[in-house]
Amino acid sequence: MSEQMTAKVDVDLAQPSILSRRNPLRYLMLLGGLAVLVLLPYWIYPPVAMDILCWGLFAISVDLLLGFTGLLSFGHAAFWGGSAYCTGLIATHWGVPFPVAVVGGAVFAMLIAWPIGYLSVRRTGIYFAMVTLAFAQMLYFIANQARDLTGGENGLQGIPRSFFGIELVEEDSFYFYYVGAAMILVGIFIAWRVVNSPFGRVLTAVRDNPARARALGYDVERFKIKAFVISAGLAGLAGGVFAISHQFASLQELMWTTSGKVVLVTVLGGIGTLWGGLVGAGVVVTLEDFLASSGFEGIGLITGSIFVLIVLLFRHGIWGTGRNVLRRYVLDRRKRARD
Amino acid sequence: MRSRTVQGTVAIAATASLALAACGSGAGGPQSGGSGKLTDDKIVIGLLNDQSGVYKDLSGPNSKTAIELAIADYKAKYGDKAVAKTIEIVTADHQNKADVANSKAQEMYDRQKADIILDVPNSAAALAVATQAANKKKLYINIGAGTTKLTGESCNKYTFHWAYNTAMLARGTAGTITKEGGTSWNIVYPDYAFGQDMNKSFTKEVTAAGGSVGQSIASPFPSDNFATFITKAGEGSPKVIGSMHAGGDLINFVKQFNQSSLKGKAQLAVGLMFITDIHSLGVDQFAGTQFTDAWYWNFDDQNKKWADRFKEKTNTRPSFAHAANYSAAMNYLEAVQEAGTDDADAVVGKLEGKKINDVFLRNGEVRKADHAVTHDVYLAKVKSSAPEEWDYEDIVKTIPAAEAYGEANPACKMG
Repeated sequence: MSEQMTAKVDVDLAQPSILSRRNPLRYLMLLGGLAVLVLLPYWIYPPVAMDILCWGLFAISVDLLLGFTGLLSFGHAAFWGGSAYCTGLIATHWGVPFPVAVVGGAVFAMLIAWPIGYLSVRRTGIYFAMVTLAFAQMLYFIANQARDLTGGENGLQGIPRSFFGIELVEEDSFYFYYVGAAMILVGIFIAWRVVNSPFGRVLTAVRDNPARARALGYDVERFKIKAFVISAGLAGLAGGVFAISHQFASLQELMWTTSGKVVLVTVLGGIGTLWGGLVGAGVVVTLEDFLASSGFEGIGLITGSIFVLIVLLFRHGIWGTGRNVLRRYVLDRRKRARD
Repeated sequence: MRSRTVQGTVAIAATASLALAACGSGAGGPQSGGSGKLTDDKIVIGLLNDQSGVYKDLSGPNSKTAIELAIADYKAKYGDKAVAKTIEIVTADHQNKADVANSKAQEMYDRQKADIILDVPNSAAALAVATQAANKKKLYINIGAGTTKLTGESCNKYTFHWAYNTAMLARGTAGTITKEGGTSWNIVYPDYAFGQDMNKSFTKEVTAAGGSVGQSIASPFPSDNFATFITKAGEGSPKVIGSMHAGGDLINFVKQFNQSSLKGKAQLAVGLMFITDIHSLGVDQFAGTQFTDAWYWNFDDQNKKWADRFKEKTNTRPSFAHAANYSAAMNYLEAVQEAGTDDADAVVGKLEGKKINDVFLRNGEVRKADHAVTHDVYLAKVKSSAPEEWDYEDIVKTIPAAEAYGEANPACKMG
């Protein structure tokens, strides 16, 4: 299934970006995005805004694999949840400021990602998805059984949110949002750098034609493992901020449904678009929040239907479709200007 | 015919519960209501429970009805003198997930301006809410969850434990059954805070009564299939198999136990049972089972009158959790009335040490040391056939509050 999916993306990505570095539209959009980021907690409940960013980065990390390396990981909850627990444990036991704990969580996620990646990148498509799922489930049951460490079903409760003694950030989720957002931005920047680097080019080559990449002398497996570990680190960063934001880490974070949800968010936003993850997260998290408070029971029904609609009607996801429309518009105008 | 009688008693019921509520408020009585200071000029009661899963029937949406009855009684009692003129209820479904409960509780306190959160069955969820209550310095009265941690390691100034706890259930049920000859036990428990706690409490009480527990078997929560665990529980031919499950899980367990070859060979003991469980599965499936009940609707006239009012609105009989929700909401409002404000510290001050007798609590006391609400509980036996719908229990004996709840939990450091 993932092979078909990436095949579709290929066509889409093959077109060069129409927004060159000189184009003011590019900076206008970036500025707009930053403005939304800053204003978000004014519009919506700050913890929900934080959730959107965390899920956004989580989806970007999945996109890095799915869209740019051609690997559909169905076990990313392992890194998100693993980091959530690790971050929580570091913050609880060592009392360090939370950014340190989050970085610790992300490093932990990368450490467990290496052996998992090493063993699973030999397979592609559905087999890769199943192998990663198996590893994630393994971690889930370990966390469930290691009750003394993780609290089992009760989860890790009351994770402290210490931040250099600045009480505003520690106690008010509105101010916390900005510190959390800064960390997420760092993650997004890393993802952007990776994609727009020679390394990212090789990843795309590996995705499009592994045999040719190998013939050119690239160690395909090693590149895949590297991408997998970087992706896990980003997922870990997101999971760590999420745990600190809720001051809670639970088994839910490691559950396979979390892996499923993040793939859904990624596809909704648009595979291979990077920014689509944020848009998808915005839609899914606000929708869930809205439906949960409206007292409507079938949340899954609505998000599921929207998912089906998007996949059927907008195959490139919300961001991908929007980008295509914009591209056509800009190209049209250029053509007209030339004529 | 029946519903007409019910309608007829509504008026009497209303006045009766008013009178009761007045008794409940103790010596303090109504205070001057004029100088009330409420945040946002209203009281917001948050009801956080399982509205769609295995614990839906035992509390769920009907708990809201119980709280509405309390609000109606409060308003009727104080009229113009009421400190809280506007009282709202907000509800949320925690889906039996601790993380959802955690963020919902945070949201209720912050966003919906809840002054208090009620109910929260599922011990893992309850512990998360207790942590939030302590963080936000707002009240939380737990009803649905049983873990003794709420009044032990995790106790805090703003959390109260109203209806029951695992230690109390164990004292009633495990002690009695073991003394009656059920000396060898195997216990199956759901693998989360409540189940682990129940297992510990029951093992302790069985041993104290001279029995022994062969195996304690953890089962995943929630679960539909208990076949392997039931088979395992039969190993070593114990006299008693204890099921520590609750709600929908208990129903599944008992159904599958009754279909297994163990039926008749070992006695089934149930750790926690709500009347809604008996109703779902049928009285014959549980016939003869002894268990500890915190309240039974058909125990006396006072209970029955309240149950009639409840039935009027919901068309079902209340479980003890419903009655406890009523009692907790009513006493919270009484405390607000007494304090003249919804300031959490002031209200806690009014609740601590309060002696209460109302439709739910008999010889009740809000214990100051650990915030457990102690009261008389009952050893019940399921009837072999129901004379009328919902009339399922014989009350074998009343267990006095002191015996049921013992000493205050020494693990609690109120700070």
